[in-house]
Amino acid sequence: MTPRTCLIVDDSRIIRKVARRIVEGLGFEVDEAADGSEALAFCASLMPEVILLDWSMPVMDGLTFLRRLRTLPGGAGPKVLFCTIETRAERIAEALSAGADDYVMKPFDGEILTSKFAEVGAV
Amino acid sequence: MSPEDFDRLQSLMASRAGFRLTRDRMKLAEHRLGPVARREGFETVDAMLASLWAKPVAGLGWSVIEALLNPESWFRRDRPTFETFGQELLPALCRAREGQPVRIWSAGCSTGQEVWSVAIAALETGAAVEIVATDLSQRALEKARTGAYTGFEIQRGLKAETMLRWFDQTEDAWIARAELRATVHFARANLLDPPADDTRFDVIFCRNVLNDMDPVRRGQVLENLERRLVDDGCLFLGPDEQIEGDSIAFRAVAGRRGLFVKSPSALRRAA
Repeated sequence: MTPRTCLIVDDSRIIRKVARRIVEGLGFEVDEAADGSEALAFCASLMPEVILLDWSMPVMDGLTFLRRLRTLPGGAGPKVLFCTIETRAERIAEALSAGADDYVMKPFDGEILTSKFAEVGAV
Repeated sequence: MSPEDFDRLQSLMASRAGFRLTRDRMKLAEHRLGPVARREGFETVDAMLASLWAKPVAGLGWSVIEALLNPESWFRRDRPTFETFGQELLPALCRAREGQPVRIWSAGCSTGQEVWSVAIAALETGAAVEIVATDLSQRALEKARTGAYTGFEIQRGLKAETMLRWFDQTEDAWIARAELRATVHFARANLLDPPADDTRFDVIFCRNVLNDMDPVRRGQVLENLERRLVDDGCLFLGPDEQIEGDSIAFRAVAGRRGLFVKSPSALRRAA
């Protein structure tokens, strides 16, 4: 059986490392991107099943990435979980209406991330 | 904390709360009692315990007991339970009750996450419900009653969409909306106490409570739950909780982990 795939998009190497450890623990094969444009290039060639997405990043932010992703061929497929320090209700609503499947407010831990993956049906 | 102190704590927890304070929780007990000692004006945990042993169990005793209970809770813990409840049980019960509200008891509600999960499932199904939520811990109940959770707590188990729909954001918390709160009545109750009135429920949630209980008290608690449940009602325990050895009042429903109904013998006795 091929392992499931998850792309972690965050400009912080530390966050990527922490998230990678948790997501690998859920049985995923993990790739990383440091901003939205890098992530978009990755998705154009290899669409992951789950994307963990930071909001504020250099070059291309998470929301712009998400809107472009959803227009790509196969771009409706991935479950996208925002994962960001932005916690205002109206911004969360904005992310969901742009096509995010769920939203994780930083700080988070393994239990939160696991429950979010379960809620969107990724595990 | 001396081993003698821990022994006495163990028997206090067993006799008053039916709680099994296992030896591996000694460090945890010491850690949890520190804030209680400070709050109650003692220099040290040892000083507090010395004072506790010298007097009959009263306010201080209950503060100590509360601090040693297991308050862990999160939203939609054991998700299949809420799917069974919201998608199968509740629609069937609503039909059977013909417009009367379905009565639900969250027994051992801790800090409230279970209650709100139940209330959300009910309101999203359009079911009329009355929920009673009880716990032994006054402090846990106070938190449950506020319906206020940190960002860290609120997202453990809740989808963002559900969170936005049912909770209002304030500066430092997410607070259960009035519609949710209107369905719930909170009260302190000890599950060891037999029912003092005739109130009965259609569904009882008593999840992850029995697992922490002293084996000799589990049967007593199940007996009390049975008396509070209507004959065609349902009981939810934690998905890993087994009660075969404790009580013959309930039987497990095949294919639905954690779901129990009254056993035929319990029905006959009620008749």
